[in-house]
This record gives sequence, structure tokens and C-alpha cells, in this order.
Amino acid sequence: MSQEWQIVWFTAWVSALSTLLILPAGLAAAWLLARHDWRGKSLVETLIMLPLVMPPVATGLILLKVLGRRGVLGGFMHDKFHLDLAFTWRAVLAAQAVMSFPLLVMFARTAFAGVNPRFEQIARTLGAGEWRVFFSITVPLAWRGIVGGMILAFARALGEFGATIMVAGNIPGRTATLSLSIYESVQLGRDAAAFRLLGIAVVLAFAAVWLGGWFLRQRRV
Amino acid sequence: MSLLLKNISLPLADFVLQVDVELAGQVTAIFGPSGAGKTSLLDLIAGLRRPERALIQLEQRVLTDTARGLALPPRERQIGYVPQDLALFPHLPVRKNLLYGCKTPAPRDGLFSYEHVAAVLEIGPLAGRGVTELSGGEKQRVALARALLTSPRLLLLDEPLAGLDAALKARIIPYLARVRDEFQVPMLYVSHDRQEIQALCDEVMELERGQVLPRAKEKA
Amino acid sequence: MRLSAGLKFLLGLLLCAGAHDGCAASVTVFAAASLSDSLAKIAAQYERETPDKIVFNFAGSSLLARQIEEGAPADIFFSADEAQMDRLQNKGMILPASRHSRLSNRLVIIVAADSSLAISAPRDLAKPSVSRVALADPQAVPAGVYAREFLRSQNLWSAIEPKVVPTANVRGALAAVESGDVEAAIVYKTDAAISKRVKIVYEATQEDAPKISEPMAALKDAPEPAAARRFLLYLDSPAAGKVFAEFGFIVRHGAP
Repeated sequence: MSQEWQIVWFTAWVSALSTLLILPAGLAAAWLLARHDWRGKSLVETLIMLPLVMPPVATGLILLKVLGRRGVLGGFMHDKFHLDLAFTWRAVLAAQAVMSFPLLVMFARTAFAGVNPRFEQIARTLGAGEWRVFFSITVPLAWRGIVGGMILAFARALGEFGATIMVAGNIPGRTATLSLSIYESVQLGRDAAAFRLLGIAVVLAFAAVWLGGWFLRQRRV
Repeated sequence: MSLLLKNISLPLADFVLQVDVELAGQVTAIFGPSGAGKTSLLDLIAGLRRPERALIQLEQRVLTDTARGLALPPRERQIGYVPQDLALFPHLPVRKNLLYGCKTPAPRDGLFSYEHVAAVLEIGPLAGRGVTELSGGEKQRVALARALLTSPRLLLLDEPLAGLDAALKARIIPYLARVRDEFQVPMLYVSHDRQEIQALCDEVMELERGQVLPRAKEKA
Repeated sequence: MRLSAGLKFLLGLLLCAGAHDGCAASVTVFAAASLSDSLAKIAAQYERETPDKIVFNFAGSSLLARQIEEGAPADIFFSADEAQMDRLQNKGMILPASRHSRLSNRLVIIVAADSSLAISAPRDLAKPSVSRVALADPQAVPAGVYAREFLRSQNLWSAIEPKVVPTANVRGALAAVESGDVEAAIVYKTDAAISKRVKIVYEATQEDAPKISEPMAALKDAPEPAAARRFLLYLDSPAAGKVFAEFGFIVRHGAP
């Protein structure tokens, strides 16, 4: 039983870390998409949304090519720092981050778009620079949607499977996440263990979606 | 004031806003029916919109000059703006709203200090409240004070009395007169109400479908 | 009524659809990943000589066994070890009379073809210069189970277990070496032969290697039992045996 809780704990903290990791880039992308137009905007939008609709194993394969020892990033880290990316917890982190990024951007963008631009404009006339406008006006007025998006991104990271198994494998004690362990247990015919893990996964997912949805439903008057 | 609005051209939904005037009044009214382009003009002056073509100069300072590719960002224009919907920040208490624009002391400090502005507009007791707890008239005064506290060189007022009943209007107009007299800040006052304009303004510019109508100066 | 040639063909197919014997049948074979190349070639030959079609599902034997347990519509199960076949036999899912094993294999240690690591014996895997060793999942996939048994018999399992990267099947371990993400892997000799991007540095001998046996059987609830029997017979033929040997399998001759 303690091995199962180790798996749950590992999955939870890597998912939380991945959600925090994508926050700066996610908010920046969401804000740019909500407030600005530029040539090539639809291309950027499409690229960001790709992991949401592509087969996860395809995304995982791309990650493997990049993070593997012969990959662009993985090779560099391996040769220069003797640091492995693929088949370690860092690859789990990368897979979760990539797969949950579009969700965060989507919900944060809606939240930003829902902030009356008048507030931001008046703040500018009152002397605020762009960073101050963003942190003192835009984010506080959009925080519920942002938090809702973060929770849903976290939930997506928790349940990540296809990309993770490609780029991180299912190494007991090192990259075994909740979803990977359920799959393994089923394969090995260990149905009791599979259903225990499944139960935990359902409870976590239910709580996350319910809580995230609650935040998203809140509207500022 | 000395506000130069030269060669302004801004395409809007149904017509092109074209303005070419020099304004010299203390309080200049921009008068016209709704949809004439009045708010868009204020936005241009404040630097919140980009014109197709314009030269905007306040006193001797060039704010926008498309010919030279010059456009000062809003935060450097020192123009106070009270929009039609007031845009009081709903997530901040009144005091934080008021102090939002206060940074380093401006040259005309004593006049634009918190104590003086709060006294003139009688908003001292409102400081601790939330924005949603204010009445219509109180919100107007707070929005006005917020703009004044930045020591602006020009004040833009977009229909400040729209949506208020006659009694409330009668109560607010003296405050606006006080602002005009006490602070000596030039004001651009957008309205479609002739009575308000008569009470406060010493110059009128009429705008209709984006075009300035030839006008006569009216003295209060 | 005159019918076009195409319409006659369609009618013929429709008439055949009901009867399972005597018409062209589709035989579904669930086979271990290590058998993929050899079986594909054998099936191509078979399809040239008979009207039957062979359809494959290649994966780790443990996953295949699970799928059959859950009711997957297979005709033949070709496993990489006896344990997975026992699993199905214990559940009464195979025709025991059809179960037999003709093939054996050898375990080898492989490294990337351009690797400069000095590995020539199993104990070299314990060296610090080897940080990762890929095995098919040693908990259930036959290739991994064999490898674990082998390393245990060499008293090396506890030293090497922390370095193991488990893959879903033996071809995954091969791919991991090819891509450079692991320094070495233990796979079947037949898998190493397929790839030009790896080289064999050690072959387990008859004495110290576990006994590898790759059995096949017809399944009890097979959709096409007669066609399955026919293909099983072909798999025992000298023609098929020649192909298996070509790919490096150790083929037992004689009646099963």
C-alpha cells in the first residue's frame, strides 16, 4: 500500500510543479492572444493548441526526439552536464507541462478577455506602465479564471499517459505515475491494485474538475 | 489651454473622424449627438488609440505626430481621463483607487495634494469604502478626484453627468465649477446637454458624424 | 439477369460470409513482438499459396494474454514463453492438444553500433559507465523475465536492477539502444539481427542461459477454427522452419 501512496505522491508533486512551471509562459501567451493582434497570430494559436488535439503518443515521440540523449536538448544536457532528461522525472515534468499548457492558455485567455479593457486604459492614463497594469489591474480582475485554468491544467497533468510513457517510460520508483501504474497493473493481471489506483485517480480528477469548474463559474460583477 | 488638434484622421465604423482645430478655452465643450466620434477623439488625445494621421500638441508639448512617427504613451502625457463609465477599479477600495496615479510629487504639489483634492470634492469620508458601496454622485466625485491627484495638465471628461437625475446634476455641477476655479486645469468636456455646457464652458466645439461644425465662441 | 463481373465478385463474397470452411478466411494471430519479422514473411508466403489472409497483433506476450483473457477475438496465440501460455491454459482458453513449441532463442547483450564502451560479459553491465540497461518489462514480458532469470543466475540482478529501463516489449528495448538513450540492452539474438544500428557484444551460451521456449496454440473461442488449424500446420512445415532459422531462431525439427 505504501508503494501506491508513493506513486500518488510522486504524481501529485510533479503535476503541481509542472503547473507552476507553465504559469509565466501560459499567462504571457494568454494575455498576448487576448489583447493583441498581429500577423501570424493564428499560426501561434494553432501551435499552442496542437498538444490538445494531437495524439498524445505523437507529442511524446516529438518530446523523445528532443529530450533523448541524441536530441537537441537532451544531447546538450547529457554531453555538457551529464544530466539525463528522457526516462527521468524531468521527462515526466516535460510531458505534463506540454500537454497541459494549452488548457491553461485557453482558460486564462478567456479570463483576460473578460476584463473590461477600459480599466487597463484608465490605469495607463494614471501613469502605470504595462507590467504594473498587468499585475495590479488585469490579473486581479481575472484571477478566478486563471485559478480555474490552473486547476484544470493540474488535473490534465495528473492524468497524463500517452506522452509520458513515450518519453519517460514506466520506471518503478522513478517515473511511475498514477496512470502508468494503472496500465501496468492491468497488464500484469493485478486487478485489485489497478482498481485501487483507479479509485484514487477518479477521486483526484473529480475534485480537481469540480473545484476548477467552481472557480470558472464565478463572475466578477 | 492651448491644445492643437491638427490634421486628425481616424476611420470609425460609419465615417472618418476628421478634426483640425486649435482650442484655447479654459473649459472647452465637445458637443454633439451620440455616435459623433466624441469619445474616440478623447481617446486619441489621451493616447489610448492610434490615429491614421494626426498632430496633437498640448501647450508646447507634442503628444502625437504621425508624420514623425511620434506617439507618447498614455502614462507620459499627464492627461487625466474620467470616462463615461467612470472605470473605478472594482477590486480596490476607494483610497487605493484615489492614490493609484500618485507617484513622485508633481510641480504643482500643494494644489493637487490629497488633502486639498479631498476637501474640494468632499470625498474624505469615502476613503475606506468599497467602490460598489458608493452612490452615483459619490462615484463621479471619486473618479474626478482620482484623475486630479495625478496633477494633470489637461482633464478629459466624457459625459460626466450622463445618467444622473436633475437633482444630482444640480449638486455635481458646483463641484465641477470648483475644479475649474480651484485647480486651473484646462478641461475638455464632452456632453450632449446644452445646459451643462452653458453652466461650465467658455468654448464650444460641435462634432457631427466626425466633422467639426463651424462654431461661434460662447462665453458663460 | 446479366451481372457485371464486379457484382458477381461481391455476391460471391456475400455467399461465403456465412460459411467458415472452404472459403477465404481471415486468421487472427496474436504473437510476441520478437516474432514480428519472421511471421510477416511466413504469412506472405502462406497468402500466396492459399486464399486465407493472416492478420497479426504484435505486442508483449503478457499484454496479449491479457487481451485474450478479456475476450479479444484471436485464433492463434504465439507466445515468447511458456508462462504466458500457461496463464491462458489455466483459464481454459486454449485447445491444449494444439499447444506445442518449436522455437527457441538466445539472449544477447547489445550496444549501439557506434558505441565505444568496453562490454564483453554480463558483469560489465555493472560498471559505472553503464547508467541504463533496457529490458522488456522484467515483471511480465517474457524477454525481460528471461533476462532477469539470466542475471539472477549470474548473481548480477541486484547490481543491475536499479539501472533497468523497462520497455513495453523487447523491440522497445532494441529501439532504446538504437536511439542512444540507454547504453545497453538484453534482447533475443533474433531481434539484434534485425537492426544494423546495434551490435552484439555477448551471447548467452546454452549452459548459462535460461531455457527459452516459444509455444503456439489455437484458441478455444477462435472465430475461424478450421483456418487456424491450417495455419498452425503451416507453421510446423519445413518451409516455415526455414524462415525461422533464417531469422536466427533455434528450430526443433521432428513431429511436435
